[in-house]
Amino acid sequence: MFKSILNKGRRLAGIGSVAAALLIAAPAMAQDKEPIVFGGSIPLSGVFAFAGVHLHAGLTDYTTWINSEGGINGHPVKYVMEDTGYEVDRSVAAFKKITGSNKVPVYYGDSTGFMKTIASELNSRGTTLMSGASFATALTDNEKYPYQFIPGPNYSQMFGIILEYIATQGKDGDMPTVAFVYSDTEFGKDPIENGRAKAAEMGIEVVEEIVTKPGSVDVSAEVLKMRRARPDFVVFHGYVLSPINEFMVQMRQMGLDTQFMGTFWSSDKLIINKMGEDADGYMGVMPYNYYDSAEGGPMLDALRAQAEKSDPDAGYRPTGYMQGWFNAMVWTEVIKRTLDAGKELTADNMADSLASIEDWDTGGIIGIPVTVRDMSFPVGRIWRVNAKEGRYEPVSDWIHLD
Amino acid sequence: MDWLFFGEISLAGLAMGGLYALIALGFVIIYKATRVINFAIGEIMMFAAYLFLAFAGGMEMSPWVALPLAVLGGSLLGGVIEKVMIRPMLGESSISVVMVTIGIASILVGLVELVWGADPQLLPGFLPRKPVFIGEMYLAPKIAYGFLIGAALLVVYLLYFRFSRGGVALRATASDQAAAYSMGINVRRVFNLAWVFGSLAASLAGVLVAATGGLSPQFGAIGLSVLVVVIVGGLDSILGALIAGVFIGWLETVAGAYLGGEYRMPATFAVLAAILVLRPYGLFGTHEIERV
Repeated sequence: MFKSILNKGRRLAGIGSVAAALLIAAPAMAQDKEPIVFGGSIPLSGVFAFAGVHLHAGLTDYTTWINSEGGINGHPVKYVMEDTGYEVDRSVAAFKKITGSNKVPVYYGDSTGFMKTIASELNSRGTTLMSGASFATALTDNEKYPYQFIPGPNYSQMFGIILEYIATQGKDGDMPTVAFVYSDTEFGKDPIENGRAKAAEMGIEVVEEIVTKPGSVDVSAEVLKMRRARPDFVVFHGYVLSPINEFMVQMRQMGLDTQFMGTFWSSDKLIINKMGEDADGYMGVMPYNYYDSAEGGPMLDALRAQAEKSDPDAGYRPTGYMQGWFNAMVWTEVIKRTLDAGKELTADNMADSLASIEDWDTGGIIGIPVTVRDMSFPVGRIWRVNAKEGRYEPVSDWIHLD
Repeated sequence: MDWLFFGEISLAGLAMGGLYALIALGFVIIYKATRVINFAIGEIMMFAAYLFLAFAGGMEMSPWVALPLAVLGGSLLGGVIEKVMIRPMLGESSISVVMVTIGIASILVGLVELVWGADPQLLPGFLPRKPVFIGEMYLAPKIAYGFLIGAALLVVYLLYFRFSRGGVALRATASDQAAAYSMGINVRRVFNLAWVFGSLAASLAGVLVAATGGLSPQFGAIGLSVLVVVIVGGLDSILGALIAGVFIGWLETVAGAYLGGEYRMPATFAVLAAILVLRPYGLFGTHEIERV
């Protein structure tokens, strides 16, 4: 235990030293141009802290890396953040504080709740483009949220990609059946209606829908319903770990040969690390290559090198890290396109630049060139857990929705 | 109607209700003896579950050694909290004491995040995995064995309160502190004992519930949901905690199965509202209790 505390201390010290190095080095980076600020409401504590620390590491490492590459068109980059505890009011306060003392063209929002709350202010300011931890379908409504984008497919699109995969798994011409299991939260319910419609359109029968409380709950009664519905596939959404493990273990104990799938936040390596062999065969949709995947590319290699340099003891970097890095990559691309066009960094101009992204090569972060559709990147791939190897392996090609 | 399904659902609900009863017992023991509503009960559960994780996972002890150690650790924590933070509050308003317990809850969450991190955790498996069948009815093994372990502790508690000197002292203090004091009972020691016993019940429930549903620094929220059980049963009634625990567990599960998961909480809160209107002191509580 003490060793663990010591390691954490060292890691924090590592993060601290990187931050200190940034502060000291930034003015001396030979760039006379005004710094470009990446702002962020970051959940380093609270219920989303498990991901927040890695999002933060991804954003921090990207900032270090881009500065080592000369910044954005000669502008150094400064990452300014506040811990929010994953509370909307604290996120709003952090936004006001950071944007009040800096000119912030791009900002990381820590939750759907915050991003919806801040939308009217963001729209009236017209100075900042926002993305963040949320893949909420609602945020791709360009009328209401013209200055917010999703750094991957939204949750409905993730369901679309999962259903596309399921449709290819039918035997003897029969479509497989599916059950949806989701948490009783805004996050959990997000893709369900669209998922139902998409399944109906594809001829996939949804034989059961189960809503649970998020987190630590007993699901033995819900498993009994699954025993009767006997779905070929179960798709989880709105969870990180529990109760996915209980559904899988108990349904297998009952002799069901159901396959289990999940969306972005349910598809991290945490599932393998905590469930061990029970995780074998679990599948997730992921828009980015995993840190330890066999894939490569100039940007993916740069990410791995920077991660190793920042914290050589950290080892594997979770999907939250990849997400933080990719957010910052998109911001850089958008700012670069706007500056190259000789335009000011306004929200309108940056939103136009984002919309112009077509067949963009992400250097291996995403395995195929990507095109922005409705302020999102509707691309992903199905990965399956190989528990023996302790990692996810691809079982589908990259799927780019139109 | 599929009676087999109803039977299976009811069995799962009753077994889960047994664990609720155990948590509620922890609540009630402390309230009954000391008149303190312990809002940190869920965090004490969480702390014990993390101790189990450290012993059985980190130190690779046998789970059957780790379980009593974790439970003892949780009960020791309860004793220390009483001595260091609650006892100095004697004589202060009940709101102040409640605020102290809320503060303790917050400190425990921070401590756990610092030591074990914010990642969700699963406890090392220690309960048998072979499905349990009662007749034709299936019961998840974790719930079945968790219920049996919890029930064993409940029986030990009931025997202790009924027959031991410590139990009699506890009951006497709960009935009338001044009279107990005048009869030579060390009331301060009884207060401490109540926190130790209450935390012990909660700690065992914490490990069993975490073994079923996983663990995270937010795990303590379950302690607050058991408040419904305690209020329905009566804040100062052990019998009420047991009956209400089993009933609420059953109701929640049946409502979830037939109406959908989103109706679990509304169903239990509807019962709570009805009880508060009809019997504001709970099904088995005494009239004099002061609510906060």
